[in-house]
Amino acid sequence: MTKQLDLLDIQGNVIRAYGRFGFPVARYVFLNITDDGIGRDFVGEITKKVTTSVEWGKKDDGEIARPKWTVNIAFTYQGMKELGIPRSSLVGFSPEFVSGMKERKDILGDDGVSSPEHWDPIWQGNRETRDKDVHIFVALNAQYGKDTDLLEESYQWLLGVVNQHKKGVVILGGHKGDDGTLMDYQDAKIVLDEHGMPTAKEHFGYTDGISDPVFEGVPYDADRINGRGKQMEDGSWAPLATGEFLLGHIDEAKEYPPAPAPILLSRNGTYMVYRKLHENVATFESYLDEHGKKYAGGKELLAAKFVGRWRDNGAPLTEAPDAASKAAFDAKYAAADDKGKDDLLSNFTYDDDMSGAKCPFSSHIRRINPRASLEMVSDPDKAGALKVSKNAFDTPGALSNRRRLLRRGLPYGQVKDRTKDDGNHGIIIMMVNADINRQFEFVQQQWINYGNDFRAGSDKEIILGNHSANEKFPSKAVLQVDPDSDEAPYILSKIPRFVETRGGDYFFIPSMTALRMIARGVIDPT
Amino acid sequence: MASNISGNAYALTILSPIKDGFTQDEIAYSDIVRDRLQGWNTEQNSPMTLTPQTYLCRFFVLDDVYTESLPGASALDTIVDWLPFVPDWARRCALPAEDHLKSRYLVFSSNFYCGPSGSVDDYLRGMWNAIGDRVQDIWGYCYGFEAVNDADSFIAYMKKCQLTATLFFVGANDDPLEEQLKALYLKQEFAKFAVDNQGLSAAELKQNFQAFFERVQPANLSAPTWAAGKYRLD
Repeated sequence: MTKQLDLLDIQGNVIRAYGRFGFPVARYVFLNITDDGIGRDFVGEITKKVTTSVEWGKKDDGEIARPKWTVNIAFTYQGMKELGIPRSSLVGFSPEFVSGMKERKDILGDDGVSSPEHWDPIWQGNRETRDKDVHIFVALNAQYGKDTDLLEESYQWLLGVVNQHKKGVVILGGHKGDDGTLMDYQDAKIVLDEHGMPTAKEHFGYTDGISDPVFEGVPYDADRINGRGKQMEDGSWAPLATGEFLLGHIDEAKEYPPAPAPILLSRNGTYMVYRKLHENVATFESYLDEHGKKYAGGKELLAAKFVGRWRDNGAPLTEAPDAASKAAFDAKYAAADDKGKDDLLSNFTYDDDMSGAKCPFSSHIRRINPRASLEMVSDPDKAGALKVSKNAFDTPGALSNRRRLLRRGLPYGQVKDRTKDDGNHGIIIMMVNADINRQFEFVQQQWINYGNDFRAGSDKEIILGNHSANEKFPSKAVLQVDPDSDEAPYILSKIPRFVETRGGDYFFIPSMTALRMIARGVIDPT
Repeated sequence: MASNISGNAYALTILSPIKDGFTQDEIAYSDIVRDRLQGWNTEQNSPMTLTPQTYLCRFFVLDDVYTESLPGASALDTIVDWLPFVPDWARRCALPAEDHLKSRYLVFSSNFYCGPSGSVDDYLRGMWNAIGDRVQDIWGYCYGFEAVNDADSFIAYMKKCQLTATLFFVGANDDPLEEQLKALYLKQEFAKFAVDNQGLSAAELKQNFQAFFERVQPANLSAPTWAAGKYRLD
């Protein structure tokens, strides 16, 4: 890595998944601007506290110390407009950012129980009337305090700032919490195990967020490139181009991503997709039980097939496709140091699994990040088999490098009864990318809710797919087997909807420079 | 490679000039034609699904040809540009003329199974016999169509309007349509069979498969099968 990003200019939530950096609890607050001048003052006040991406060190050494809690801020298109960004700058934002998530529901497959009329009240009201529009997003992440509730401390600070600007900004309530209570904020926190110990799991029991992309210029990701960057022709890994995730930098097409003028408004900024996803744990458990009894490999292997990783430690199926290889993997994993563990979990390819016998084509990790596996052709020597098509593209990852997403976010709520779907539990997922349409929306439409690129017809991704409740057109997915074996593929029939959308929108995360300029009202593209 | 043919598939391209006139309601004939074609969208399915052996076809009304700009000038024109005594009107006259169609056209293109004969006659005869009234409805405002009153005259007329296709891509394999529709039907039914019978014992599976085989009758092309033009499961 030779490129060094200006980390003091980039907001911290772009580069860091806070959960992994010791900030396991979060609160997301959304505001409406009622007066543009006071709104800009509010942004200025918040900006003073905004956490950047800088490397933390010791204050005594002249470095910036790790904060007890973090603050980050982002805006919807309406928010940018309310803050008085000139029209000639506004026209430079992407059309999907202007439209917002609700209007993009057909592309995103937010239908049936996931359609906007079922979203949390705050998201139902958003983009309907001016006073209910979500303009500003403030994210607070906190460490666990020994004696004090640091998250509450950060929230009280925010309430103080809001209070000082109450004639110009209003907190929008309407987030569904426990027992349907409406909250003024969205709480999120990592899932605790039965002993109250923190885990890296979401409510279905999977380890989340292992293979987050690594891109050029982030010093503390330099030893995490293998399996997370882009695959090169010689099999090595390189960090992805910065411009896939930050505006104002060269992307994988060797171009600057489209961005609004002036460059000071967009450079080191990016787009964020905020989505509240409810998890139907009872439906998941009963479907897994039902098919776990029939599936020859047993329930835990079947659970692993849904996602492509084993639930207990996240072991990838490509490396541990059955019980025997899993035992061998576990032994190696137990003996490895942290770096070795990380490598075991993320440094793999699909080169030896082109027919999907180990990691199914419709499993979560293969759909979300296919690595080089889309470079496949039918094997002329073996019926029903696929193989790597060498030299079909410039690099093995040519079809996936421009569809990557930084995943930020945390689970929310707690499962109190695994036999019920309607509790308060799910994931707040925040995806960061330079082009919402090319990256997030493409993955959602083509790879999650459709299977053609994976030669899986209209089969959807098993966990996140907007599976059909319609008896006439039930969702299915196929768990492939080795074409050389006598085994029959296992067909997951009548897949119910495990995950439902409960709201969200598209946001712009400006750089620190842009935030200061927005606050002063000096954005001027001329 | 013979013109219009790729394997057993035929690419038919028809351009029929539409008369330059209008109805009593003061609607141009070409607009009537377009309107009638657009009306097909609201029907249960396209009348063309009734025309045997049609793989894929398309109708549209061509209003005119479009250019983005005038064609580039030659090297000689550039030299003329340097000569100060050539007046502007002379330069403009020297520019190539802009091309336009003399009339509006009904365009019909179809990819169909023609078989080893490579002939278009059987297909057009099938079209006339199946949807002759609809054909008259659409082509009725075209020059010379008044001479069409049966399959033979329809074939003769269409051949007069035909453009040669020298290069085309066939999006279907080489089999007759009935074969392809049956194969599609069998694929769908077999996928359902696989889902419904997963995990049964060998004996049960064999029994159910025999019943399945008798029901779907793989050798019988006429029934049960996938209906031409049907585009989703039901």
